[in-house]
Amino acid sequence: MNVQIQPILAALKRHKAGTLLIAMQIALTLAIVCNATFIIRERLARVARPTGMVETHLLTVQNRFVGTGATSSEPLVKADLATLRQIPGVVDATAINSYPLRGGGWSMGVQTDPDARKAITAATLYFADDHAVATMGLKLIAGRNFRADEISWQDAQKVEAPGEIIVSKALADKVFPDGHALGRTVYIMGNARPSTIIGVVERLQTPWSGTFADNFMEHSVLLPIQLTGAFGSYLVRTEPGRLDALLKTVPAQLMKTNRMRVLRDDTGVRSFAEVREAAYKTDRGMALLMTVVCVVLLAITAAGIVGLTSFWVGQRRRQIGVRRALGATRSDILGYFLTENLLIGLAGVVVGTAMAVGLNLWMVTHFEMHRLSMVYVAVGVVALLLIGQGAVLAPALRASRVSPVEATRSV
Amino acid sequence: MLKMTHLSKVYRTEVVETYALRDFNIDVKEGEFVAVTGPSGSGKTTFLTIAGLLETFTGGTYHLDGIEVSRLDDNARSKIRNEKIGFIFQAFNLIPDLNVYDNVEVPLRYRGMKGPERKQRIMDALERVGLASRAKHYPAELSGGQQQRVAIARALAGSPRLLLADEPTGNLDTQMARGVMELLEEIHREGATIVMVTHDPELAARAQRNVHIIDGQVVDLGEDPRFHAHAARAVDA
Ligand SMILES: Nc1ncnc2c1ncn2[C@@H]1O[C@H](COP(=O)(O)OP(=O)(O)O)[C@@H](O)[C@H]1O
Ligand SMILES: [Mg+2]
Repeated sequence: MNVQIQPILAALKRHKAGTLLIAMQIALTLAIVCNATFIIRERLARVARPTGMVETHLLTVQNRFVGTGATSSEPLVKADLATLRQIPGVVDATAINSYPLRGGGWSMGVQTDPDARKAITAATLYFADDHAVATMGLKLIAGRNFRADEISWQDAQKVEAPGEIIVSKALADKVFPDGHALGRTVYIMGNARPSTIIGVVERLQTPWSGTFADNFMEHSVLLPIQLTGAFGSYLVRTEPGRLDALLKTVPAQLMKTNRMRVLRDDTGVRSFAEVREAAYKTDRGMALLMTVVCVVLLAITAAGIVGLTSFWVGQRRRQIGVRRALGATRSDILGYFLTENLLIGLAGVVVGTAMAVGLNLWMVTHFEMHRLSMVYVAVGVVALLLIGQGAVLAPALRASRVSPVEATRSV
Repeated sequence: MLKMTHLSKVYRTEVVETYALRDFNIDVKEGEFVAVTGPSGSGKTTFLTIAGLLETFTGGTYHLDGIEVSRLDDNARSKIRNEKIGFIFQAFNLIPDLNVYDNVEVPLRYRGMKGPERKQRIMDALERVGLASRAKHYPAELSGGQQQRVAIARALAGSPRLLLADEPTGNLDTQMARGVMELLEEIHREGATIVMVTHDPELAARAQRNVHIIDGQVVDLGEDPRFHAHAARAVDA
């Protein structure tokens, strides 16, 4: 094969409009596809973050007591937990104010110096009991769980910091970078009394799936406190294979225990899989939308290249015949069109790289976007050049089959 | 140099079979200048395209420079076209996207020739046809006669041993035609074998030998060009 760049460039200068059109299309596609892929990967990474819980066979209940006694809910909750724990197929159950991916909960500053103006970090507070670690399937990597006698019942309006807390490892490491958090004290409610870290769990996410908690996504505190009040959640761990049946049994049994409650049809009793699904619906939707945009753009670009090259091959049949008559082999002709496409593609990706970076910078300043990794641009460049070569292959092969006798056909 | 024996070429379409050449015999010796004449549709172009390896034939044998060409694959045929044959077409067939210089360069690049040698040959060839000053012009900016001279420069640059010309002056006025003819004669004197198809009896008369084709067959009219010129006129009429 004998392909040289200079005469191809010389010929392209005479076809500026088509060349520019395709190069710009490639540039735009690169800019958009790089950024879209980056967003897709970010969203999917967000969706893939683990909560720290064992999510299979986990069932959630969001409960609201109504009528008299709703504000002093201690006996009602205790009755509910007793009911839940004796249902066949239930391994354990806990009462907790919120849980990962629920979307709402408590966040407070954590500090080691009670007089410090500024907290070391924010963290979420889970008001739990001694069954929480087992029910959620958390991995206790240091210290111990709460004892039953450590659980206190408090009014949400005037909660007092507990003497003992369990923290997530991420929080422990943040507050005590030396790695020795166990037995140390922190202040989690302003300058109230200190709480001693009695246990560390490997991982526990905050309840937020959006960007709100991005800076403290795994900073969680478990408190041996049950909040009295009309609203509350239960988490129920089931035996394998029993979850579907329990989705019906649990609300029925709860209603049998106490009818004075509201369990909403949509969020009342759900499997944790449903909770996860709902929490990341927009992220998934965004990723899907971006994927569709990418696929459509790439398809349009490929179609544009096929179209323009086919047109050029048709237009140049005679000169292809002349080149063949002058000694070009079939692979010379094939190489001509592949190289021509590669040159246009290279011009496109050079401009496209600048546009991709520009578009990303614009989004960084106007939206909550991170800086685009150059890996995406590099992969995009290679992908677009390959798509270009793939798209041009069929018309280029057609060109290579033009007979040299075309040169002699009278005009 | 060029020897065809009992050669035939059939064009098949769904409805008809056309014998463009039948029992076609010709022997062109090295260094000859042969003019091919004949009425329109008699098979002159077909003969030239087969001679130039632009097309395959249906039956018979064809030896080019001692090689039986029907055995050659497409790449080998391309190589022979590139190295041994120079083409001059009635329609000039310059590549409109390339300037004069780049046009003359095309066959040299396919030969894989190095830059400095290419440049030397291109400038020499353009010098010969008197168009060195137009190297940067595009074909559309040149007259027909100039375009054909560029085409001749392109054919010459590779120093081919065989020059095939299909009505090279067909699109030119008399004066331009004369210029082109003088150029061909000069090239011939330097040793190239030339086969030229022409309608013009006056030009045919200037060749060493005339071959007349009627209905896809060679009709030998002997060595006397004057006699031949009359015959050609008679047939065309
Ligand atoms: N590609 C083709 N398909 C079918 N018939 C053809 C083709 N090329 C030439 N012919 C036929 O072959 C005959 C010889 O044509 P050609 O060699 O072009 O004649 P000339 O050059 O002497 O005018 C004509 O009858 C023509 O119609
Ligand atoms: Mg003809």
